[in-house]
Amino acid sequence: MAREVSKGRKAAVTLLAWGVALLIFFPILWTFLTSFKTEGEAINSHPSFLFFDWTLENYETVNQRSDYLAHFWNSVVISLGSTVLGLIIAVPAAWSMAFVPGKRTKDLLMWMLSTKMLPAVGVLVPLYLLARDTGLLDTKTGLVIVLTLVNLPIIVWMLYTYFKEIPGEILEAARMDGATLSSEILYVLTPMAVPGIASTLLLNVILAWNESFWTLNLTAANAAPLTAFIASYSSPEGLFYAKLSAASTMAIAPIMILGWFSQKQLVRGLTFGAVK
Amino acid sequence: MATQASRMAGRLMLSPAVLLLLLWMIVPLGMTIYFSFLRFNLLMPGTEEFTGFENYHYFFTDPAFWPALVNTLTLVLGVLVITVVGGIALAVLLDQPMWGQGIVRILVIAPFFVMPSVSALVWKNMLMNPVNGLFAALARTLGLQPIDFFATAPLASITAIVAWQWLPFATLILFTALQSLDREQMEAAEMDGAGPVWRFVHLTLPHLMRAMTVVVLIQTIFLLSVFAEILVTTNGGPGTASTTLTFLVYMQSMLQFDVGLGSAGGIVAVLLANIVAIFLMRMIGKNLEA
Repeated sequence: MAREVSKGRKAAVTLLAWGVALLIFFPILWTFLTSFKTEGEAINSHPSFLFFDWTLENYETVNQRSDYLAHFWNSVVISLGSTVLGLIIAVPAAWSMAFVPGKRTKDLLMWMLSTKMLPAVGVLVPLYLLARDTGLLDTKTGLVIVLTLVNLPIIVWMLYTYFKEIPGEILEAARMDGATLSSEILYVLTPMAVPGIASTLLLNVILAWNESFWTLNLTAANAAPLTAFIASYSSPEGLFYAKLSAASTMAIAPIMILGWFSQKQLVRGLTFGAVK
Repeated sequence: MATQASRMAGRLMLSPAVLLLLLWMIVPLGMTIYFSFLRFNLLMPGTEEFTGFENYHYFFTDPAFWPALVNTLTLVLGVLVITVVGGIALAVLLDQPMWGQGIVRILVIAPFFVMPSVSALVWKNMLMNPVNGLFAALARTLGLQPIDFFATAPLASITAIVAWQWLPFATLILFTALQSLDREQMEAAEMDGAGPVWRFVHLTLPHLMRAMTVVVLIQTIFLLSVFAEILVTTNGGPGTASTTLTFLVYMQSMLQFDVGLGSAGGIVAVLLANIVAIFLMRMIGKNLEA
């Protein structure tokens, strides 16, 4: 009897949870479905959910506009480039703070975090002018540099919280056995640090991919990543919903798949280790 | 414990990150502060001159300033209330035994990964458009008049979009925190005859307090600089109805090319964010001790 009740309760909870989840997911689902409609079908005043003539023409059109692929490539270069560059700078820093902490390590970490609190708009003008004067405006290099610096505190923090969990005794033992610093890093630390570094990479690529302040303000035609490309679709006319949907689907799909793999790291990374 | 040599090596490894961040913080911020005391318009090069606090005076007396400040706070507070209350409800729901919990979680988190320009465009055109949007179609089916969301309630519409994007974040963090709740204590309370409401108020909520604080503080940092959603949907209008501080500074410096004025606004935004940041740093700093 008790079993019956709990099954009924489980069914009710399941129903409610699925209902709410589908409601939250609906705008994405709707975009996905609309991307397979004809433009006429997409603005039909009696929208059809599944029963329409499915077509791939929107994807073809969007892809034929070679600029879509160019923007996609810009997104890849900018998000991966800034992440890798950030890791190169942050790994030694986080390593040293986790394993050779000094009196000021804590203050240093807090200070790094504080640079993240600086609202972007507060430094918009000088960065725009600096980028313009150094010829880095609307270049991938410029955006890679800016996004590296924007996300560096998060990368350092995430790596730090991961490195902190590696037992220091292992390093001590390696040192006792006569390992040099470089072999200590290469053979002892690296294998243990790889999962943390991978998580950091994943989260940071997501953040950089979706970053929408600097990418919109520092690019025009050449280096615009998908965030800026999609924003240019901001037409009030409902003339190309289907194409907008196809472009949107392609812009968010890769990162959403990555994101689903990074649920746990997301919490840890975005709360700077305060919630695990 | 560490040897002198490893200490040296540690400093060496630390310095690139520290130096870069130091430059990153001091140079642009210093320039903004400097510009904020200049009469400096990109359309009139060569006319820069020191004007003291004139830009700040203009910024604070700009008719758009107060609406922008109020809009910023309304947007931030609105999104916070929706995401925290909704996030708690969703986290508790997700925590119940059910079938397909993994998939439900994936669906709920999804909006967080949608880039702001995409979510703004999708909501603006495909859902909220008064002629071709889905909501309009729904309203007509029910025999109601479709609403022109961005004309009648621009700020509320943007709040809804931003809340949709951040609800997953709040849910995910609160759900993670919920999983470390002491189940035995929960069961003991249940045995003692405590009802679900009592347990929620006296056990669940206090346990979530810390995660809630983190959610509020971190979201505030990001919400203070909401930009793409406004740019894509309303451009701050109609009038100043959906202009936030960030957007106001953007308009002054990038559209009116008034670098001095924009810089003064930027400094005001920095000060506002700092007030929030102080609280956040305390929270996280405490965690570092533990």
